[in-house]
Amino acid sequence: MLALERVTARYGAVTALRDVSLTVGVGEFVCLIGANGAGKSTTLKAISGLVPAAAGRIRFDGYDIHGLAPQEILKRGIAHCPEGRRVFPYMTVDENLAMGAYVRRDVAGVAADLERVFTHFPILAERRRQPAGTLSGGEQQMLAIGRALMARPRLILFDEPSLGLAPTVVETVFAIIAGIQREGTTVLMVEQNAYVALQLASRAYVMETGRIVLEGPARALADDEHVKRAYLGG
Amino acid sequence: MLGATYSLLGIGLTLVFGLMNVVNFAHGEFYTLGAYATFAALVLGSVNFFLAIPIAIVVGAAAGALCDRVLLRPLRGASIDTVMLVMIGVWIAMQNAELLGWGGVAKNIPTPLPTQPLTAGPVSVAPLRLFVFVVSGLLILGAHLVLAKTKLGRAMRATFQDRETAALMGVSIDRIHTITFAFGAGLAAAAGALLGPVFLLYPSMGDLASLKAFSVVILGGLGNFAGAALGGLVLGIAEELGAGYISSGYRDAVGFIIIVVVLLLRPAGLFARAERVG
Ligand SMILES: Nc1ncnc2c1ncn2[C@@H]1O[C@H](COP(=O)(O)OP(=O)(O)O)[C@@H](O)[C@H]1O
Ligand SMILES: [Mg+2]
Repeated sequence: MLALERVTARYGAVTALRDVSLTVGVGEFVCLIGANGAGKSTTLKAISGLVPAAAGRIRFDGYDIHGLAPQEILKRGIAHCPEGRRVFPYMTVDENLAMGAYVRRDVAGVAADLERVFTHFPILAERRRQPAGTLSGGEQQMLAIGRALMARPRLILFDEPSLGLAPTVVETVFAIIAGIQREGTTVLMVEQNAYVALQLASRAYVMETGRIVLEGPARALADDEHVKRAYLGG
Repeated sequence: MLGATYSLLGIGLTLVFGLMNVVNFAHGEFYTLGAYATFAALVLGSVNFFLAIPIAIVVGAAAGALCDRVLLRPLRGASIDTVMLVMIGVWIAMQNAELLGWGGVAKNIPTPLPTQPLTAGPVSVAPLRLFVFVVSGLLILGAHLVLAKTKLGRAMRATFQDRETAALMGVSIDRIHTITFAFGAGLAAAAGALLGPVFLLYPSMGDLASLKAFSVVILGGLGNFAGAALGGLVLGIAEELGAGYISSGYRDAVGFIIIVVVLLLRPAGLFARAERVG
């Protein structure tokens, strides 16, 4: 479904990605782990068009999407739930969700998806007219996920969805993401919490200083000595 | 009464600053353009004044859109100082173009309404001033509704609050910038069209308008729509009072005294809140 081939990306003189190749198959749950500054967020930004890849190819459904504007990539079915939640703080919950459906024209479909989001996240239904900035961290993360779902994507990119959340909330968020994948949406997730990520995902990539250094079935990586030492604290 | 046009000027300036991070020194030139466009439509095109106002707004907005496409779009991501210098260039260029096109002699737009004051009890007001006030109010309300209620307005606010995430939602940031600049220029042109028959037209008339607009934005807080709307009214009223109670020569000074005081006491602006809607 998605394939990156030897993608390189730079911020000015800083090379953030070097020859990154990865694939995500239809219906898969793939995770990307690695230390802070490894280039995980940049990988997702290269896919969604926020950071132009300096070299390499990015294909989605077989088509080259490298160089397309973010809205074109979104229209093809890739939504990006960014690191740090990034809800629009002065806009209401309703308005944030409406922004998620910004590129869609099918009014009836959008209304149905809105209902679906409220069924999944009853807490958002109770806070529809509240500015998103006044929600708790966990509620904001649910809003960010709901907003990504409003685009009705076939692939969702999650960037550290557990960041800064209380442990009980983290569990809920991961359960939600697992549910989204079970219902048929393909997931590529970046996580620092490698332990949980490797339990949820079927396949995983490990990234260090802009390169993919390891890849394989999540269970195999969880048993890998290097991964254990570097990411699983043992 | 004239404070409402200050609000129009301030709203345009504050939106462009808040959303695009552009300090628009040429803002007053769109005001001038609106006034001359009204004059041209009226005197040369012989349409009536009420039709000339929308024409002036469209001309101002179109000039704003052009300015953004040609000059500002290539500079996205450039430092705010660079863009500031370019806008100073636009200011000088537009003012001299007006001088070239219209000459240095002041022009006069004939008053479209009766000059007999309307009286209600102790209050009396010139019909033209009342008209300016009402139309400015309607335009401010309209601008507010566009921002608060439409899909375009939502995209503008989203861009204002978090540009990168707005792009992720599929908002074309370039398009929103062009629309915002055109929006601001259109509001400035509206102020010029409305005040055309109140004052004389001359090529450097925009300088004072720019000053007022900056004053309003400072009063209301940078990037604050409601602050700019109220700031304009406060400035207008303060000027009227200053002119009435001290001396009409102090009209413009009063405004600036207030600004100095506000900056000393509340540097974030008179109406600063945590929330800046855009
Ligand atoms: N906007 C930026 N400008 C310059 N350098 C950046 C920017 N964003 C990230 N970087 C650099 O790129 C590298 C990868 O960052 P990132 O993709 O955010 O890592 P991760 O998400 O794995 O923590 C880091 O060295 C970081 O400092
Ligand atoms: Mg990151």
